[in-house]
Parts: sequence; structure tokens; C-alpha cells
Amino acid sequence: MASALDTAALVVLLRRGRRSPQAYAELVEEAGSAVSVLERDELQRSLFDLDPDLDATVSEIEAWEARGIQLVGVLDPRYPRNLLAVHDRPPLLFVAGSLAPEDARSIAVIGSRRASAEGIAAAKEIAEHLVEHGYSVISGLAAGIDTSAHRAALARGGRTVAVIGTGLLHSYPPQNAELQKLIATEGAVASQFWPQAPPSRRSFPMRNAVMSGISLGTVIVEASLTSGSRIQARLALAQGRPVFLLEALLEQEWAQELATRAGTHVVKAPREITATVERLTAAEPLSA
Amino acid sequence: MPSVAELSSPYENFMLGPRPGPDVCVVCFNFTRGYERCYACSQNEDWLAALAPISYSVGLEQLHRALMGYKRLGGEVARRLTVELAAVLWRYLAGHEHCVARATGVSAFGLVTTVPSGERGRDSAHPVRHIVGDLVGPTRERHERLLRRSELEVPPRTFDVGKFEAVRALDGEPVLLIDDTWTTGASAQSAAAALRRAGAGPVSAVVIGRHLNREWHENDTRLRGIARPFDWERCALCATSGP
Repeated sequence: MASALDTAALVVLLRRGRRSPQAYAELVEEAGSAVSVLERDELQRSLFDLDPDLDATVSEIEAWEARGIQLVGVLDPRYPRNLLAVHDRPPLLFVAGSLAPEDARSIAVIGSRRASAEGIAAAKEIAEHLVEHGYSVISGLAAGIDTSAHRAALARGGRTVAVIGTGLLHSYPPQNAELQKLIATEGAVASQFWPQAPPSRRSFPMRNAVMSGISLGTVIVEASLTSGSRIQARLALAQGRPVFLLEALLEQEWAQELATRAGTHVVKAPREITATVERLTAAEPLSA
Repeated sequence: MPSVAELSSPYENFMLGPRPGPDVCVVCFNFTRGYERCYACSQNEDWLAALAPISYSVGLEQLHRALMGYKRLGGEVARRLTVELAAVLWRYLAGHEHCVARATGVSAFGLVTTVPSGERGRDSAHPVRHIVGDLVGPTRERHERLLRRSELEVPPRTFDVGKFEAVRALDGEPVLLIDDTWTTGASAQSAAAALRRAGAGPVSAVVIGRHLNREWHENDTRLRGIARPFDWERCALCATSGP
């Protein structure tokens, strides 16, 4: 666990800093401490107001923690290991519940909010298969496919992690507030946004990168032309992570195009997903 | 067992293949403004017969992340990145080592070695040596640790013929030198100098990533001009001779 002061320094950096979140993730990793990055940044301006700011931020973090929100920065051993390997990792995650080391063995299951009965059933079947094979099920707590995947994982006694597009003090959609609480109790709800942050147009694609980055691969169960799942597919491929498309998606032109991209796998059955992930991540010699 | 093709293919979504051309450094493929050599290559001595960067590695982007992460992150994540980068190098050499040999003026390289770490403490178990010496089929039989970091104090990113020393004398053999990243070329050029002074024949280098910052000069525009996805059939050294 990073020290309270260092976590506070990371918060101050992200609020006041002029660089991108990714740049701060890298600077803090290189320096091994957010305090030293902050000092370096602030030296170019005035240093005299830094200490009261840090003290106030430490108190603010304590207030968040009292509401069940943990702050997990890139230097924290609880930060998801898979996420560390991607270029668009956020420097700081807010977490309700607890991230577990075994969540490194995880696959994201995502799809449309307005899902068909077949889609809901397919998401359930995939999530159950993943739980049976020791995977955590990652999803985005949206209505439709996401909800089905989370609920099926919980019903099977598996681990599930929701990566949400708002701050942790919000629930979107509001009707999933209860599910959000349940996941926080059984697994974890993670967000890269300030706890008070409302949903926004930009926030959902940003969290898609995190959902993909936490996972060994992303499964798209059902999605339309305008779905956020397509964004996640693009972001996953840009991270070098595999994307699985259920065969039925190939009726749509965008999915046919996506299927031609390296790293995309079209699958008929859940076991093809786990078999491919096992092969790609096997600790075995490479074969020509 | 994962195959080279399936582990390397996803990288084509973010790899950017360097190509020779006007306003491209003739040594390292850095972008220039009307110069034959970039600033760093005009300052360093050039001991390499040829350099083949497989891809540009752009700061804060995914290949850069992989090239940092395989050395730094440790554990299972670093192991996976290591194997993926090994697959990229394997696939490149299988398709294009002959381009490097041709550009060097030799028929083949019988010896393959790696650039040691600039920091003496990290030299004994350098991850790039694990890739070249253990993981990559086309290099592991030919790999030999020919260089070590000398006792000389050399600031990081500084060319110095004394930075590395050869562990044995060489007798005119051509050597293929491999490193993960080329930033200024100071390390690879110092390594090539040490090999040549130990009696090696021509020395050429293959690096996985030629580091660039997107926000510098016209780099962003130039990088946007590179065809995507990455084409495994063409490389920095064969592009001008193809159809």
C-alpha cells in the first residue's frame, strides 16, 4: 500500500498538473513516488502552498475511505497487474470492495444495453463458463449484457469486477445501484473518475480502456453499430489484447470488418474463448 | 504452445514501420528536416554497417509500454510481454534477416549478440539477452555473450568506445547486434565500436523500437503518414528494393 502522503500527492498532481494522466502514470512509476514528481512539477511555480494542500487532501482521502472508497495508484501493489502493461492505464483507481490478485486471470464480457433474450442468455453462459474455469468476470455495470454477465458470475459464486464510467458515488443506470453495492461486497467496483464525477460522453470510452486493460481479453456478446462495445474492441486491439466476437455479430458489417483485424477471434462457444486465452498466455516456449 | 504468428500479429495494430526517404536519418530512421543525419547520429561515431529498427516506439504508446514493461514490471505480466516481444523479433528476423545481411554486404551472420545494460549491476541478467539467447528460434543457436560493461564511467546516453569491452578476440566474423530500443544510438554504437575493435567484421544492428516523442518537431505528422496496419512483408531495409 502506498503511503497516505504519496496517494495525496498523486491526487494533487492529477488535479493541478498540466500533463495527461498517462504522462503522470509514467512519471510516477519512473520516480517511484508521486511526492517527488509533485515537488519537481511545483518547483517551477511556488512551493509554499503545497503542504496545506497535501494535508487537506489527506483528510479528503480519509473521508472517501470512510465511505468505503479506496484509492489505488500505479505504485500500489493492489493496482491490477494486467492494467500496468497498457499505455492508457489511469494513474489512480478508486475502488469499492477489493481488487484481488486472482483478478489478473480475468476476461471482460460486454455488449449492448438493449440486449435481446439470446444475448442475455449468451452472456450468462459465458460468465458461468469463465467462473467454472477460475476467471474473474469483468464488465461495465451497464443494463443488458453487462448486468447479465455480472449477475451470472455472482450467482455461480465467482469473482466479478465492475469498471464504471462515473465516480463511485454515482450509479449509472440508477436501477443498478443495488447490483453495484452487491458487486462491491462480493468483488470490486473500480472507477478512474473522481468519486463525485457524473456520467459524461468522454467518461464511458475512457473506462472501456480500463476494462480491457484489466482483462486478458474482451468478449463482445451483442452490439450495434453505435455501441460502446465497438470502442472497447478498438481500444483492446490498440493494447495488444485479444477481442472475441460471438459469431452472430458477423451479420453486421462493422463486425465483419473488425473480424479481419489481427487479434480478433470469432467464436461459437465459450470454451473457444478460454482455450485461446490459455494458449496465448501459456508459459511455454514459442513455436515457429 | 503459442505460435510466433499469433503472438506477434496483435502488435501490427500499433507498430509503425520505418522507411527510408527524404528527411529521414540515413543511420537511424529518425525524422529530420532536410538533413541526411539526425542530430544524435551526426554527433555519435557510426560504427554500424546497417541498422534495422523493426518499428518506431512512440513515447507513452503501446510498443513503448511493452518495451519498458518487460524489463520493469516483473512477474507474469513481464513474462508475457517478454514472450510477445520475442515473437516480434523472431518474425522480423525470419522474414528480413537477409535484408540486414544484404545491407551489411555479407551472406549471413554466424554470430548474434546483444547490447549489455549500461548499468553494470543489471548486466548479468539482462532481459534482451533472455529473448535473443533463449526464446527466439533464429538466434538462440548463434547467440554468444560477446560484450560486457567496462569499468569506465560513462554518463547515460553517451557514446564512448570504451563503454563496453569484448569478452574475447574476434577474427573478422560479421556480428548481428540486437537491442530492444534505440533512443540516441549511444549504446548500440558503443557496442559496435567494442566489437570492431576486438576484431569483428562488419557489425549491424536490429532494434525492436526506434524511440520517438510524438510531440517533438513534426513527428506527429510524420508518424501519421506511416501506412497501417504494420506490414510484416516489408522492412526498413528492404522497402526501397521491392516492387
